[in-house]
Amino acid sequence: MTREIQRGEYELGAHRTLLQEFWRNFRRNKLSLIGGVIVLFYAFLAVFAPLLAPYDPIEQFDAPRGMRNPMPPLSRDVDGRLFLLGTDKFGRDILSRAIYGTRTLLQVAVGSISIAMLIGITMGAVAGYKAGTWVDELLMRAVDIMLSFPSLVLAIALVGAFGIGKIKIGPIVLSNIVKIMLVIAITYSPRFARVMRAVVLQEMAKDYVAAAKISGASSARILLAEILPNAIPPIIVQASLMMATTVLTTSSLSFLGLGLQPPRPSLGLMLNEARDFLFWGAWWYVVVPGGLITLAILGFNLLGDGLRDALDPRQARRRR
Amino acid sequence: MSPLLRVEGLVTRFYTDEGVVKAVDGSFFHLGADEALGVVGESGSGKTVTALSIMRLIENPGRIESGRILFNGEDLLRKSEREMRRIRGKEISMVFQDSLSSLNPTLTVGAQIARVLRYHTRLSRRARWRRAVELLAAVGIPEPAKRASHYPHQLSGGMRQRALIAMAISCDPKLLILDEPTTALDVTIEAQIFELIRDLKARLGMGVFLITHDLSVVASFCQRVIIMYAGKIVEEADIHELYVNPLHPYTRGLLRSIPPLEGEAERLESIPGEVPDLINLPPGCNFGPRCDLADERCREVEPELVEVSPGHRVACLKVGAPTMGGGNG
Amino acid sequence: MRAYLVKRATFGVLTLFIASLLIFSLLRVVPGGPVDALIEEEWDDPVLRAQLRHELGLDLPLHLQYARWLGNILHGDLGVSIVLYQGEPVGKILLARLAVTAQLALLSLSIALLVSFPAGIVSALWRDRLPDHLLRLLALGGVSTPNFFLGIALIVVFGVGLRRGWGVGGYIPFGEDPWGWLLHLLLPAVVLGTDHAATISRMLRASMLEALGRGHVLTAKAMGLPRGDLLIRDVLRTAMVPVVTVIGNSAGALLDGAVITEVLFRLPGLGSLLVQGVYARDLPVVQAVVVVAVGIRVAVNLVVDLTYGFLDPRIRYGGNGR
Repeated sequence: MTREIQRGEYELGAHRTLLQEFWRNFRRNKLSLIGGVIVLFYAFLAVFAPLLAPYDPIEQFDAPRGMRNPMPPLSRDVDGRLFLLGTDKFGRDILSRAIYGTRTLLQVAVGSISIAMLIGITMGAVAGYKAGTWVDELLMRAVDIMLSFPSLVLAIALVGAFGIGKIKIGPIVLSNIVKIMLVIAITYSPRFARVMRAVVLQEMAKDYVAAAKISGASSARILLAEILPNAIPPIIVQASLMMATTVLTTSSLSFLGLGLQPPRPSLGLMLNEARDFLFWGAWWYVVVPGGLITLAILGFNLLGDGLRDALDPRQARRRR
Repeated sequence: MSPLLRVEGLVTRFYTDEGVVKAVDGSFFHLGADEALGVVGESGSGKTVTALSIMRLIENPGRIESGRILFNGEDLLRKSEREMRRIRGKEISMVFQDSLSSLNPTLTVGAQIARVLRYHTRLSRRARWRRAVELLAAVGIPEPAKRASHYPHQLSGGMRQRALIAMAISCDPKLLILDEPTTALDVTIEAQIFELIRDLKARLGMGVFLITHDLSVVASFCQRVIIMYAGKIVEEADIHELYVNPLHPYTRGLLRSIPPLEGEAERLESIPGEVPDLINLPPGCNFGPRCDLADERCREVEPELVEVSPGHRVACLKVGAPTMGGGNG
Repeated sequence: MRAYLVKRATFGVLTLFIASLLIFSLLRVVPGGPVDALIEEEWDDPVLRAQLRHELGLDLPLHLQYARWLGNILHGDLGVSIVLYQGEPVGKILLARLAVTAQLALLSLSIALLVSFPAGIVSALWRDRLPDHLLRLLALGGVSTPNFFLGIALIVVFGVGLRRGWGVGGYIPFGEDPWGWLLHLLLPAVVLGTDHAATISRMLRASMLEALGRGHVLTAKAMGLPRGDLLIRDVLRTAMVPVVTVIGNSAGALLDGAVITEVLFRLPGLGSLLVQGVYARDLPVVQAVVVVAVGIRVAVNLVVDLTYGFLDPRIRYGGNGR
């Protein structure tokens, strides 16, 4: 009798324990904590960019006599303004551009991942729910074909299709940044579709879904209320890992001149411009944007790995 | 004559993040050259770790802390890894429980047996293959020449277990360790496998160390049996003696949980409670928390394994007390 | 196995077909297109536009355009470059470019394999000890550093710092100067290779650790088999399938990295051609490069499938596994 009561209490506490267990697993891995801190740092930069940036990122300053832009860190312009990380070729403050560039980068990444998730989850959920039917077959073959394109090549080709810069499709005008989000979202949505389909298939086999079906719940209700909550952990893991990939793809596009367009501050574009000044020894021009991109990718990778390990301890043990 | 294997005070521990697991905690036992010794216990009682310790196959984070493992009078714990490699597979062999995962999926069974022969014999490549086919025939695999070039997944569970046994006996070992060799198999096949092992034992004259959680298997196969609980030997006796006069409350519990061969099975019982956490063992007797007879003293004093009659040892403070008189009815 | 391969090959061809259809329509459905690129603003007038569209065959219905394009491809004609190399056959341009990219790809894959295998094996065998920690940190850095950043860093070191001519990019054909050819390809290949080496070594480590825990490794140890044999036949061989998958993904997506490195190191390969094509809105060039990219992916996947069969008899004989 006592034992049964204890078991009952354990069941009641199961939800909390699950979260606690997640946190314990997550905390145990120092690297994933570092990843979390890095991601928080970037979120902070992005949100408070206007407060953190000392200057307007597109304002051009004149170098004092005897110097020319780009100026090295700790230089001052003609009016004595200090540039902590130096200036770029047009005399713009690198620090401010880097902060705003980070903000734009994260905007694009978060925006495109959100759209990709929306498309991917919908596709995956429908395919999984209709598993074995022609709908499933059609959707998954489409996913296979999308995934047969190397992702950056596909993104570039899509930019090629839409054109560089902002675009007009009939009456709709899409700003360049939204267009890039769409391009990247299209490129990566199939991966979310696969994850989602797998989760739905797995959950559909469980008793509670059968019970819900028997009790006459509608398909949409079962999908939204019963299955979706269980899909959240794997989707979060996938999203975090995809953030790293998206940051890389976004900045690659900008680096190639196919992404964000000047004068909008963009880390990839800064690196592209910096190439012309390598022989001047303008290292700051390269290190600041390059380092920021690298650190962001590192942070999201670490966080994603940590989340995956913490949410799926069985797999983690195999991996570690 | 000194026995084939004598284990003295074996202590094996695992140093995990959660704490130190006392997997085997001071075992003493021996095994004769032509004897079959059964080791019975629940999972986590230290049976397999004992076997792996004998083979010196304990790996990080595990360590053999102390004790001696005398094989033919020589202490295996003092051997170099190189010397051990020459002993494993040749002098002492082991068969594991899950035949599918215990065989390499990328090699044919013939090649796997031939591979063992390559390192322990001087046979030529051809002779090794011929011997592998002979061995497959010896373990009762039909069409051995054809089966030798099959991959594990192409064989049935029973046949895979036979192939695994063929590999284990390929170099005529003096000691064969069987770790629950039939758990994955159905009852008919299980009987056939034991028939085979009995037959091989008689023909090759080797000592057999049989690990199982099933006392009835031991009864039909072994001369002597060791009962292990939470890393310790709690009772050791001749199989006949054990059935007639089980002394340790845990052994009695085990015997009660065997379905009788005849008559109704309604008295079948299982032992209440769970195997204790090997990291935080209770003070006193490990079995105390699950024991009906335990009193204050059992919770304080750790019982020692004492010989109560020739060949019959038991670790229980209650043995000899009036309540322990009768058998199991 | 044969039936399986035939199925995979059929699917591959189908993928290639649909992918080409997809990219073909995408590049045409969106307004603008090559006509915009060809016409200078001051000359813009509807008559000229219409004439140009007609000349380029852009006035035909989409399915006819595609049918014509596909038909030409089957005759080995990939069309002519509209803007970039006006009038040159795309096939010819493509072939020359493909050669450069193939050299880069082979060199970088060799570097990746040469680095990742020892690294992954050492990491797995010395798990959680110093060599493992160091190698994993390196791999993490390799995965996280964007190609363009690493490339620029190498240019700064070798081109600017050490003042090597080959340190700033460019391409020299093998026939002209084999040594110069190798030097010029080295840095871009290292950049591309680092990326893949990091991914492959991480997977190799994880997969080996899993294999090390399998029953047959314990059996092999219990049979007294020597370490080398154990490592190769019990651990590496059975750990290979996921690693081959990753290598295949890397090889199939080599063009992704090639785009960046070729632009950065000024190599006349497919990747830089793609970027130039997009800039110039040269449709035949862009779609040809994309189709080749998908073709490489499909071909690599087939090779990977073949390798699975070689590595794992359960796949080869279509047994109950998989």
